[in-house]
Amino acid sequence: MLVGAFACAHTPQLLARPSTEDRDLVLRVHAAFARVKRRLEALRADAIAIVAGDHVEAFFLDAVPALAVYVGTECTGTFGHYRYRFPIHEPLARAVVEQGVERGFDLFYTQHAPLDYAFYIPLHFTMPEPAAPIVPLHVNVYLPPQPTPRRCYDWGRALGEILRTRPERVVLMASGGMSHFPGTDRYASPEFEYDRRLLEVLKAGRGRELAAITGQELDKMGNIELRTWATLLGAVGEAKAEVYCYEPSWHHGNAVVEWPV
Amino acid sequence: MNDPPHYRFPPASAYRLNRCLFALKSDDAFRARFLKDAQAAMSELALDAEEAGAVARGDRDALLARGAHPYLVFMADLRLRMEREPVSFEFF
Repeated sequence: MLVGAFACAHTPQLLARPSTEDRDLVLRVHAAFARVKRRLEALRADAIAIVAGDHVEAFFLDAVPALAVYVGTECTGTFGHYRYRFPIHEPLARAVVEQGVERGFDLFYTQHAPLDYAFYIPLHFTMPEPAAPIVPLHVNVYLPPQPTPRRCYDWGRALGEILRTRPERVVLMASGGMSHFPGTDRYASPEFEYDRRLLEVLKAGRGRELAAITGQELDKMGNIELRTWATLLGAVGEAKAEVYCYEPSWHHGNAVVEWPV
Repeated sequence: MNDPPHYRFPPASAYRLNRCLFALKSDDAFRARFLKDAQAAMSELALDAEEAGAVARGDRDALLARGAHPYLVFMADLRLRMEREPVSFEFF
């Protein structure tokens, strides 16, 4: 069953803070993460299905899946001196890929690939105690052509149906966003007003509207990663978002959000 | 909406260049070899002289003009800085 749904920023500066990053802002985002952690503990999650966009870590240009499921026994990732190792809920991961394919989504799967920081930075701060195994679900956000927001939304709707039929208590988490433009001339000028308007749409329970946004618009607004949110929104339907925080730094709109399910 | 996208299709001609940036970002052993001897490390990946020069200088505009993926340019630079100036980060 699906017992919770959250979206979390994964900015690396939240984990390794350079002197250029506002410390108080970072701590406010950490406080929002701590709320998510307490919620995951209250929800007694058996597994966390986390939808994230690989930052060209697991998948380089040798093979670029649009949608992928990690179906190993565990997954590992490293970032500087950080070392992460998470058990994967293999029966759940396998059910997602098998039933996803059965429902018409040609999912890529891997039994061994490096885990990207988009997965482990939110989990660094939100993993409940005791820890829950995860199911990493990949959406291509950085290597064009990416799947359309509508495709992501439709996949999320199928994913939600799959999770709801499972015996485990599953929390769905979307990692990513909001506006940022790493590596481009726009790095220091994200589209914060766009983010704020979008959060109002989500608070009103109109998440379905995200499916109608074009990939071009997401690119223009620094929100290519919102494909992970579109996936989650397909699963949560018209639930009204509760925004834990929206903290715009000089380069990134950091949001933490929960949806009732 | 006629502006070019921020993240373009990575041209196949830039495959080796992007492979090098990917290695700097994600391959700790390669990054260590690069920090020790950049030219020797890049010769492993058969970059041409212009590409190798742009990587060695961290010349973002030159890298992007040759088809480098902006995110790879960004994170390769960040990871190199994390190695060169680790004290300037606060780790949580």
